[in-house]
Amino acid sequence: MGFWWSVAKPAGIDILPAMTSKRPSRRSPRQPSRRRARSRAGFGRRLWGWLWRGALLGAVLLALALVWLDFQVRERFDSHAWQLPARVFARPVELYQGRDLERQHLLRVLGLMRYQEDGRALSPGTFAVLGDSLLIHTRGFADSDGGEGPRLMRVELGQHRIRDVIDVASGASRVARLEPLQIGSIHPGHTEDRVLVRLEEVPETLVGMLLATEDRAFYQHHGISLRGLARAMLVNLKAGELQQGGSTLTQQLVKNFWLTRERTLARKLVEIPMALLLELHYSKEQILEAYINEVYLGQDGARAIHGMGLAARYYFGRPLEDLGLHQQAMLVALLKGPSYYDPRRHPVRARERRDTVLFASFEEQVLDGTRMARARDQELDVIPKGSAALYAFPAFVDLVRRQLARDYPEKVLASEGLMIHSTLDVLAQFSAEQALARFLKSRDKVNGAVVVTAPNDGDVLALVGDKAPRSAGFNRALDAVRPIGSLAKPVVVLAALQKGGFHLATPVQDGPITVRMEGGQEWTPQNFDGQSRGMIPLQEALVHSRNQAMAHLGMQVGLPDIMSTFRQLGVQRPIPPYPSMILGSLNMSPFEVAVMYQTLATGGFNTPLRAITDVLDKDGQPLARYPVSPQPVVNQQDAYILQWALRQVIERGTGTYAHQQLPGALVVAGKTGTSDGYRDAWFAGFSGSRLTVVWLGNDDNEGIGLTGSSGALRVWTEVMASMPQRPLDLAPPPGVSLVWMDRDGQRLSGEGCEGALRIALRDGMMPDKATACGRVEGTRKGIMKWLRGWFD
Amino acid sequence: MVARLVRLILLSAALAACASRAPMVLPELDVPAGDPLLTSPAQSLWKQAVVARTDGNLVAAGRLLERAANLAPDSSWLYRELAELRLRQDSPVAAEGLARKALRLAPDNPVYQSALWQLVATARVRQGDDEGAKQARTEATLLIERGQQ
Repeated sequence: MGFWWSVAKPAGIDILPAMTSKRPSRRSPRQPSRRRARSRAGFGRRLWGWLWRGALLGAVLLALALVWLDFQVRERFDSHAWQLPARVFARPVELYQGRDLERQHLLRVLGLMRYQEDGRALSPGTFAVLGDSLLIHTRGFADSDGGEGPRLMRVELGQHRIRDVIDVASGASRVARLEPLQIGSIHPGHTEDRVLVRLEEVPETLVGMLLATEDRAFYQHHGISLRGLARAMLVNLKAGELQQGGSTLTQQLVKNFWLTRERTLARKLVEIPMALLLELHYSKEQILEAYINEVYLGQDGARAIHGMGLAARYYFGRPLEDLGLHQQAMLVALLKGPSYYDPRRHPVRARERRDTVLFASFEEQVLDGTRMARARDQELDVIPKGSAALYAFPAFVDLVRRQLARDYPEKVLASEGLMIHSTLDVLAQFSAEQALARFLKSRDKVNGAVVVTAPNDGDVLALVGDKAPRSAGFNRALDAVRPIGSLAKPVVVLAALQKGGFHLATPVQDGPITVRMEGGQEWTPQNFDGQSRGMIPLQEALVHSRNQAMAHLGMQVGLPDIMSTFRQLGVQRPIPPYPSMILGSLNMSPFEVAVMYQTLATGGFNTPLRAITDVLDKDGQPLARYPVSPQPVVNQQDAYILQWALRQVIERGTGTYAHQQLPGALVVAGKTGTSDGYRDAWFAGFSGSRLTVVWLGNDDNEGIGLTGSSGALRVWTEVMASMPQRPLDLAPPPGVSLVWMDRDGQRLSGEGCEGALRIALRDGMMPDKATACGRVEGTRKGIMKWLRGWFD
Repeated sequence: MVARLVRLILLSAALAACASRAPMVLPELDVPAGDPLLTSPAQSLWKQAVVARTDGNLVAAGRLLERAANLAPDSSWLYRELAELRLRQDSPVAAEGLARKALRLAPDNPVYQSALWQLVATARVRQGDDEGAKQARTEATLLIERGQQ
């Protein structure tokens, strides 16, 4: 507190006695006359009075200013210094015997997590390649299930899959996990981001280099360095302008915290008392830690890079504590001018400055000669812009942020250091990004979105909101709410199946239809090819996406039933009660489509999509879980029958491109969607373990000249081809049989019979009649089965 | 085995009928033959989950079971375990959904399926759905009868 008074007294108290001590001079014998002397004395007294009052007012204002500054210093520092943002992690990569995983993909994951190949995997964060095996020394992490300690694992790789995972210490086979990749941090209300670090986590060499370069007397001064100021003043006088500030670290922190970056005298006048106040209230360690977390170190588009923790990720893609000496020196070098010494844009001058830092550190005995020389021999080792995982997936982190905002107050998110385990699968995310970007590369005006989920547990594995996936702009996956077109047709079919009386061979009229609505308007849908095919089986109406047939079917089923089926599938937004809804004139985002198709993919279970699995406090203690919670909403039989029809879409309908491109063993199902005027192209489809939704469109709602089939399906197929997954289960559930049916929808038929259609049918709807060909075929099959029984 | 199961089911049905917050008495079962868990590396995670549950650490058990289900997605047993866990955590709606999922994946084993229906019945009682619980118990009994044939 003594320091406070040494600052405050000159302004408030000490000046006044010094001025009053000059009073005797008014009675000087050298006054010419008594009258003049009296007059002068009167003027002098008035002057003194004015001066006195002026000084008093000045002192009061100065004191108030200091009190205000003091409040500013403490308020900002206290609210900032101990804030720990929520950190978001991708799902940990599980390593276990039999997992489908390509060697190149595992190496890519290790690269992303900045594992270093050192030949022997001696310390956590390193790995070694030993023929077909990888020796990986994991770092360990906290999780709701107790987490993992650092472990040395031998991962034996076979062709396309893991043969075994051995814990080297015990020699036992086990399920192991790599620590999750940090993909973001949540700072509500901040435009800039941080990766806050504790002083004890900062390498000593970095602190040493920082002080050696920026403020050698840091531990001696009280916020300002008179010697530094004098030196700066000399330089400025010589130059005739403000060139040097002579700032201590404390002053630099003041600038970063409270002031603009301009070099003006007025700012300097405020900066000095604030620096003194800061030193008065806080320890050197607190100031140093705040400086390291606050200092400005670059610009990434609109995002300012503040703090060395974030800068380490931004420039080198790794945590601050993992940086080499040469990288630590580069961070210190940036302090002199983050833009001027940007190592990506100006590598030569950045390297010169880095070497200057290294030399200064050598002079100050922070580094010995050998370490300095070794560090100077190193390249800059910066990673390409945009390749740091921390900010690589803005669309997905946006989803996490929205989910968290729903469940946690801002204050908790901004300050409690929560650890958020998310569901993001980094490899699936890259596949989705790549597929979208590749397809849209030569289509400037078209953009898109991709959502990939795991239907069984509802995990959102990937979310792409832009063909430039690192850009944190409009998140189309969540916010592009567009007409879904024919993606609605499976819902109409499901409504028909549930209503009863309809099966996949029920004939429907593919012919002109006009529906008169309230207000006199008419709805007259047309087929895509402008043709009408007459009576066709319901399944064919879906497989070939026949609008008129679907319109007839939808009107027979009734709009209330269809609306209720949308609700059953988890659609929450208002559904317009118009007939055009049958053909998808209702708007949804790609994410909402994923919610809707999720139930179809699981065979009738509504499994809420989740982006978060666990929330832990800063010490790794579990705070909340988002458990898997499937609810049966569609009966197993109808769900299977619909899946069967959607498989036919892929095998011989509008989705055949996927059938041609994907491996034969990968059974998938899905549906195309195209809105009026080719404004939106959709594909939503699934295998036994993955659901992917793709939307392509233009932000200004102009046509893109692509259909679901010629556009979105291409992207979908590439995404699905790149992910290891299980095929859909072919076996029908109890109560459903696969049969050949005649196109009349009333008689069984047989394979090879004219007009025969293979469908999944509820046993309760099995006709007791068969076509002549069907009876012969049935008899032949019966005999063959009987014969096989003899020989089996 | 069947007789023991019947006794347990009857006992739990009686308890469930008496009180909506009845203590959970569920048949002790083994992983049914044919469940994919038996040949999956997920088994080690399931065993860890059992230890965590015994220690009263239900949060850890939940995470471990979900990880295991990710490795062995067709394992009915793991969904049954999750259902039982959710029941212990007083989330009967989730428990019923998970038990129904376990039923969907269950191998053709009437005794095991009967136990799953019993789990559904208990979850429904906890939700105050006595009529639904009765239906589930009927399913359980029918399956037991089928198993005895």
